[in-house]
Amino acid sequence: MSRGGHIDVEQNPADLAGAYALHALDEHDTATFEAHLAESARARIEAAELNDTAVALGLAVAPVQPSAALRANLMAMLTSTPQLAPLPAPSAADPARTDAAATVPGAAPVASPRATGAVPTTATTPSAGAAPADSAAPADSAAPADSAAPADSAAPADSAAPAAAAPISTTPTDPGAIRPAADIRSGDASVTHRSSSATERAQARWFKRPAQFLVAAAAAGALFVGGSLFGQALNDNQFASQQASGLAQINSADDSQRAATTTADGQEATLVWSNKLGISAVLVDNLPVLPSDQDYQLWYINGDGAAPAGTFDSSGDGTAWRVLDGTMHAGDQVGVTVEPTGGSDQPTTTPIVAFQS
Amino acid sequence: MLDLMTADPAGELASAAPATKEELLARVAQGDQSAFGELYDQISPRVLGLVRRLLIDHAQSEEVTQEIFLEIWQSAARYEPTRGGASTWILTMAHRRAVDRIRSSQAGRDRDTKIGIRDLAVAYDHVAETVEVRIEHERVEKAMTRLTQLQRQAVSLAYYGGFSHSEVADMLHIPLGTVKTRLRDGLIRLRDELGVAS
Repeated sequence: MSRGGHIDVEQNPADLAGAYALHALDEHDTATFEAHLAESARARIEAAELNDTAVALGLAVAPVQPSAALRANLMAMLTSTPQLAPLPAPSAADPARTDAAATVPGAAPVASPRATGAVPTTATTPSAGAAPADSAAPADSAAPADSAAPADSAAPADSAAPAAAAPISTTPTDPGAIRPAADIRSGDASVTHRSSSATERAQARWFKRPAQFLVAAAAAGALFVGGSLFGQALNDNQFASQQASGLAQINSADDSQRAATTTADGQEATLVWSNKLGISAVLVDNLPVLPSDQDYQLWYINGDGAAPAGTFDSSGDGTAWRVLDGTMHAGDQVGVTVEPTGGSDQPTTTPIVAFQS
Repeated sequence: MLDLMTADPAGELASAAPATKEELLARVAQGDQSAFGELYDQISPRVLGLVRRLLIDHAQSEEVTQEIFLEIWQSAARYEPTRGGASTWILTMAHRRAVDRIRSSQAGRDRDTKIGIRDLAVAYDHVAETVEVRIEHERVEKAMTRLTQLQRQAVSLAYYGGFSHSEVADMLHIPLGTVKTRLRDGLIRLRDELGVAS
């Protein structure tokens, strides 16, 4: 066989640069090329330049005016669509943390009051399927992005951290104060800052397509908007629609709050809740698949002990989530443990993650 | 909680002066919905134009455009101005999303058989609607003429057609390694012609 150019070319990851910029690589080649990018500053510069070049091709296309309905739909979805915190910058970390300490989730609705009145309607009727886009959006937006994401969920879930070590970073400290919604996001940012693993992952992902930054948020935001569930534990339609409705209610509640942290294995985990409604939901990214004889189980934990609040499982990628059964009381902790299939009456393992509401 | 706000919140939050897309994105990152609306008005025709170029089907293209703008809303805080302009960030996302849709849907595969290469040959027959677009269009068109025909074909199929490099290889009956080379060499040539440098 000849040792001619093409054979060598196929073995050189640098030659994927063009196809990468044009989004013409499959997942395997994308991973190969991104590994190359991680090692080569020169390759990163070329990738950025070729990306800009590809964008120039995009800017040469004739614009098309979207329908008025598209704009109206989008604007109505904003309030119920969570926003990601900025990637941590060293100089910004400390002020954000200070901010977070002063932040009062109890007093400041994440669902900003700037919202239009249309939002609750949209958010709480997830099965209406009013916009054709909705039903397709969640699955499409999550699946491709996930499948190419780094397999950082390899560690088994049962290597749990002690419950005491579970990051509890957003404890309300000053229920009287009123803070604008933007500060809530700062609070989330500081939680992200605390997790160096999440930070490193996020930074390492720079060269991936933007979609991958927001798989979790996209999932959380889109699924109840459209009512088309891809919550992985949910097979039963009625149950699924109750779950979606619950999540939508939490997100559109005027006292909606959230706390972000990471699991013992570093998966990003979010608790959203409304004290007024007494309900909460847990969302976890890339939660590892459990053996068939185990389930993840949710718990409300307070002075009276731990109360079971439902089980769920995970397909290993995407966002696994569940609205908790039962009633949440202000100040409850929420924990997730791994239990035998069907769940236990009391936790039998150390929580993989715990939140302070 | 269902009480409607009676005041128009946009008035007190948005500045009246026209803002750049970068400034708007920064405000969107702070949860500013009126900034989002403004940004949408500025760039959504670009986004939909590009997405429809790839997907052909208008309704599907609007769906994907909606996904893209939700993503913009969600991830605005992750936009880093030092890495490039807002349009670059948004159009990259838009192209990625359109390609994802093609790859993930049967509609995408049906589309392939319908349009084939024939439709891609008219990539530049669109009538540009604004001066800005026409200038950019002519600039790109001119740069494209500096590519070899084979490079141009491969780049067009990949970017405007949304085909993967292996699909391009199949369509053009050439080895995958050759496609990779053509795509890279073609883009590098375009980069130099367009004066793109970081």
